[in-house]
Amino acid sequence: MKEVISRIWKIGIREIKIFSHRPMYLFVILIAPLLCLIYFTTIMQKGIPVKMPCGVVDEDNTTTTRSIVRILGAMQNTDIKAHYPSFSDARKAMQRGEIYAFFYIPRNTTEKALASRKPEISFYTSDSWYAAGSLLMKDLQTTSELAGLAVTKASLEGRGVPSSMLMGILQPITIETHPLSNSTLNYSVYLNNIVVPGLLFLIIMIFTAYTIGYEWKVGTQKELFSIAGESSTIALAGKLWPQTLLYCLIVVLIDVYFYKYLHFPLNVSLIRIICAGLLCVFASQALAVFFFGIFLTLRMSMSACSLFGVLQISVCGFTFPLTAMKPVFQYFAWLSPLRHYYMLYVNQALNGFKLVYAWPSIVALLVICLLPLTMLYRIAQAFKYQEYKP
Amino acid sequence: MNITKIWYDEFRTVFHDIGIILFVVILPLAYPLIYAYVYTPEVQRDTPIVVVDDSHSQLSREFVRKVDATPEVAVVAKCDNMDEAKQLIERQDAYAIIHIDRDFETATKQGKQTVVGLYCNMMSMVYYKCAATACANVSLEMNRKIKVENYLRPKTERESEIMQAPIGYKYTSLYNPQGGYAAFMIPPILMMIIQQSLFLGIGMSMGRSREQNKGNVIPLNEYYKHSVEIVLGKMLFYLMLYIIHALYAFVVVTKIFALPQLGHYWDFILFIIPYIIDCCFLGIVLSYLIYRREDCMLVFVFMSLPLYFMCGLSWPGSAIPDVIRYISYLFPSTFGLNAYMRISAMGASISDVAFEMKGICIQTVVYFIIASLIYTSKIRKMLRKEA
Repeated sequence: MKEVISRIWKIGIREIKIFSHRPMYLFVILIAPLLCLIYFTTIMQKGIPVKMPCGVVDEDNTTTTRSIVRILGAMQNTDIKAHYPSFSDARKAMQRGEIYAFFYIPRNTTEKALASRKPEISFYTSDSWYAAGSLLMKDLQTTSELAGLAVTKASLEGRGVPSSMLMGILQPITIETHPLSNSTLNYSVYLNNIVVPGLLFLIIMIFTAYTIGYEWKVGTQKELFSIAGESSTIALAGKLWPQTLLYCLIVVLIDVYFYKYLHFPLNVSLIRIICAGLLCVFASQALAVFFFGIFLTLRMSMSACSLFGVLQISVCGFTFPLTAMKPVFQYFAWLSPLRHYYMLYVNQALNGFKLVYAWPSIVALLVICLLPLTMLYRIAQAFKYQEYKP
Repeated sequence: MNITKIWYDEFRTVFHDIGIILFVVILPLAYPLIYAYVYTPEVQRDTPIVVVDDSHSQLSREFVRKVDATPEVAVVAKCDNMDEAKQLIERQDAYAIIHIDRDFETATKQGKQTVVGLYCNMMSMVYYKCAATACANVSLEMNRKIKVENYLRPKTERESEIMQAPIGYKYTSLYNPQGGYAAFMIPPILMMIIQQSLFLGIGMSMGRSREQNKGNVIPLNEYYKHSVEIVLGKMLFYLMLYIIHALYAFVVVTKIFALPQLGHYWDFILFIIPYIIDCCFLGIVLSYLIYRREDCMLVFVFMSLPLYFMCGLSWPGSAIPDVIRYISYLFPSTFGLNAYMRISAMGASISDVAFEMKGICIQTVVYFIIASLIYTSKIRKMLRKEA
């Protein structure tokens, strides 16, 4: 046992020496994840996009329509950037990317409204900008709704309905939304909790495959294998422990930054979400070793890790729900550490639910951690007989 | 003449190296299909929700029925109390709870406002959006009816119609009429793939020549004497190859997955050629930093996501802090993704994307000069070593 530990230790020290000659390693595993962390939290620091550029085409231009436009301008998400003389001018502005949406009030709107001839106003969003389009749509719809209600209100007042009853008549059913645990609809909370770990896991997978395959590239695989006493387990354990320590440090840093510094919602103790992060780090490394065991070449295993790591950010389902994707991706997601991290994060940090509801994810992660065992023999054979293929 | 030789050399290098082929041929062909396949269901339908109906009235049942009938959500269970409903949320059998108050019907009859509570698991904005939209639309529709039937008392059908909405409104979602996810995710991804695979391919081929020529980025022979020729020769090869990829993305991928297709070929060609050249030159500049061929995967792969967020499509450009906006002007993708989105999905002409085209052209010139200077200094160093 003592010998095993000393071998692992020796290989680890050898690994640290390799690291010290290559500043790029430090950039990739330490600086890059932290840069991503700072970058993504900065880009979304406002939480939710507000005051997005919107256009207005007011062909009627009466006091009534101007007051409708003023209501629109007072909305949270809308910034009336410009007035356009015609519909096609507004559409052109949209194509130039100057506005995300516009509001169209045709000629004679006021006149028709006064004469009870039901005029129609309309609004257009460009859903090529998905978030901007749907946020503006809400404001535009509310404004349009209010325009009609203003007319009804005037007619009710004319009939002598007391003002205390007006709201009950105009809007009998109101919806009160309670977005649980993220009451301000903070996109930074929603996206960064997954994007940042997702990028970290991607980097971990690529880098793990890289460091293992690197031995073949520089032709030192036999030397490594002999230090490890002809055991691929020891060789891999020795090679990976120094970087694993760094990854753990980064996970702790990210979580402390999110939950203690930025005060993202956290309904369990910090330790729990750190543990979930660490488990996923190990699972990512295990998957990378597994892929290396399958392909046994640096290039192919790195490519597989890149593909997997990039794809799991889409397939984990935090933007577009996994349940709506094709079944093949739902199976694929079982292999994805990020998917399980997402499930654990939602269950624990975001909502503080009972852990028992998240057990399938924990079991899946543990199984992923065991996957490399199936490849140890193959990797040992490769240590003995395989040469580097570019 | 030298340019043709360099062009041919690059051609041979790339097609003799399966690793590089993987990045410059297979990746740009396969990734668009994979991504489009991931996002093709396009929309989330029938998000499961539960209802806690304390009112047990005709009106509340009507509300629930109407919510259930919307395409966005499906009522999967009716619970007696909130605790029971919460359990379903914890198990993720449902993502939202609608809670209807005891006085739902009586309040509306008395001309008071009543509140329907919507509690949503915020694990995904899509679920939230579905539940909120469904409830809002149903409440608006029912409000109109209640208002007219209980208080306004119209005499004719037409009058009732007008009273329900004295000013009607119509909403049109332009350029992505079904509000599909693929339609807004895929076009920018297509351009991102072009940029990233160029960076990877050029970086790998550079790493390969370093490994083969003992740390030199170019072989020692009479063809590689002028930096401008080297840069142009390499660029021409990738331009030729990537025009095919770009057309494949613009025509085949867009068609197979029925993405919005309003662009004109001419506008697209006018945009894509400078974009590819721009990416090539920046790729050459960046590959200067790459020592071993596999290193570029370490550096370039994870960059795609930050670059994607930088371009202001999924995260609106108006909300991006100025510092990051200025940094984003350094990358072709910022301009390329926006320009392509507007040309292909919104039918913009090349003059509509003038700002982006200017950006691409300025970048092209700057990166061309930097790339040439890098090679000039490399050639000098090599000649000195030789002497």
